[in-house]
Amino acid sequence: MWGGWYGKMDVQEVTHRPLFEGEPIYSMWLRELIRFFAMRSRILATFASPLIWLLFLGIPLSQIFSSGASQSVPGGLSFFAFIVPGIVSMGLLFGGTNSGVTVLWDKEFGFLKEVMVAPVRRTSLMIGRSLGALTIALIQALATLGIALILGTWLGFRIISVAGFLLAIGFMIITFFAFVGFGLTLGALIENTEGFMTIVRMIEFPMFFLSGALLPISVIKGIPVLYQLQFINPLTYGVDGVRGLLTGVFLLPAWLDLTVIVAFALLFLFLGAYAFSKMEVD
Amino acid sequence: MTEDVIEVHELTKKFGDFVAVDHINFTVKRGEIFGFLGPNGAGKSTAIKMLTTLLHPTSGSAEICGYDVVKDSDEVRKHIGIIFQDRSSDDYLTGRQNLDFHARMYGMSKEDRERKIEEVLDLLELKGKEKIKLHNLPEGVRRRFEVARGFMTSPDVVFLDEPTIGFDIKARMDLWNQIKRAREIEGVTVSLTTHFIEEANYLCDRVAIIDKAKIIALDTPRKLKEAVGSDLISLQIADGGERRATFMEKVKELDWIKRVEEYSNSILLNAESGEGRVADLIDFADAHGFVITSIDEHEPSLEDVFLFFTGRTIREAEGG
Repeated sequence: MWGGWYGKMDVQEVTHRPLFEGEPIYSMWLRELIRFFAMRSRILATFASPLIWLLFLGIPLSQIFSSGASQSVPGGLSFFAFIVPGIVSMGLLFGGTNSGVTVLWDKEFGFLKEVMVAPVRRTSLMIGRSLGALTIALIQALATLGIALILGTWLGFRIISVAGFLLAIGFMIITFFAFVGFGLTLGALIENTEGFMTIVRMIEFPMFFLSGALLPISVIKGIPVLYQLQFINPLTYGVDGVRGLLTGVFLLPAWLDLTVIVAFALLFLFLGAYAFSKMEVD
Repeated sequence: MTEDVIEVHELTKKFGDFVAVDHINFTVKRGEIFGFLGPNGAGKSTAIKMLTTLLHPTSGSAEICGYDVVKDSDEVRKHIGIIFQDRSSDDYLTGRQNLDFHARMYGMSKEDRERKIEEVLDLLELKGKEKIKLHNLPEGVRRRFEVARGFMTSPDVVFLDEPTIGFDIKARMDLWNQIKRAREIEGVTVSLTTHFIEEANYLCDRVAIIDKAKIIALDTPRKLKEAVGSDLISLQIADGGERRATFMEKVKELDWIKRVEEYSNSILLNAESGEGRVADLIDFADAHGFVITSIDEHEPSLEDVFLFFTGRTIREAEGG
């Protein structure tokens, strides 16, 4: 009788999840890193891939451009110095997109199911995972810059200042998350995992080629459509931002780079998080 | 001790026009091992997915430990452990890392995690294998790590979806005994799905036989078998066809015959138990001019129970 309202209090007790779930986020981050360091081929690829691009593409191409046509690389950069930020950005594009997309992989291998029934926010799972992938992408970015600095003593690449370097890292992080969101959204749009990676590659490579990562965007000024495509490609702004901060040579206004990449990151992280929260596990 | 930890009321799931689970009702008491027995595609997995909050019911309700699977799905998740039918662990991590990762997700402290890992390794007899990456282990051991994980968070109810699929006999027996032992030690309630007759028979305190989305019988294995009849006699009549049909009519005259069924080319009789039933039948056939070419008497199994309620064997149901 009098005990009645005690009982009622119990019923009304609502369980709240904390907004920030440290342990699950940390666990997901840790899992990504354990997986990374458990696979020797992945560690090898992280260091070999930038080395291959810089050695076998960077050096030959820089020979063409150094033979007289100094005008073709704006801002007085050596061609090698020009493409280093491009290669770094490529890692962010591929690493970020793959991280978002591979949520599907986990789904296929059942792992996602395991974490989806844990009493944890789905966004925490996503954040933890992305932070893990970010850590790996930053390791690769630093490896790329390290290799580039060594080769750069002959080929003319150096980082303009410590502040520029630190700001560039920050800009890389935003760019990375923009592509995580992009990958998540792609992954949610394409349900079928068969041949999925091929489609993702078909989207990633044109984005990379038409971003000013390897050639200045002004090179194709006379070619309609292709030239304009560069300006709706978010990676164009990511590359320009990273390059500007590292070398001091911006080809686009710095504020524009930042605005576009932040807007892109917010938009796609929102879309991706939404898609992820709606994802059915069966 | 007799508290109901699972209460299911008119639970239904439709996918479009297809009814996967059709108004099922049951309760499971604390400490019970409760099994869904039925052919593949009968709706067992769909039912268990609704109970574990992975699927939303179309109608009806289910409560685990008093929490509604839709409204209080978070609370439900805190009280259950799940062992999925297909692989759901990280191959590139060791068994121990998988267990530890799982426990972190449930917010267990470091001491709790380490204590519990030791405990479940012991329970599933996995000591010595916990530092090997899962992709280097045989399927049966991998699976045991997943079962161990289901017990990590000291859940009130553990759900196992086809726990021993793809196992050899030895591994299957081991896991059955380990699950029984876990129930004794942890006092946990176990709910499992299976299409193995022996699994339901050996492991379960009560069995719900599910076919075409409906529960068609629910009781202890012994009571289910008793319902079929105390004795089962299958026999064949020379010249089949017409003669068989006539014999089936005729044999009903015997007052200890409870039920007569035709199955393939045989006649299946449910008889009240008693001495010399086979001899009596042979005499009866003789007296009426029938020749029995083969006769066999056996205690009913859950397979007979399924046949009794559905008119077909589980294997046939899966084939169809």
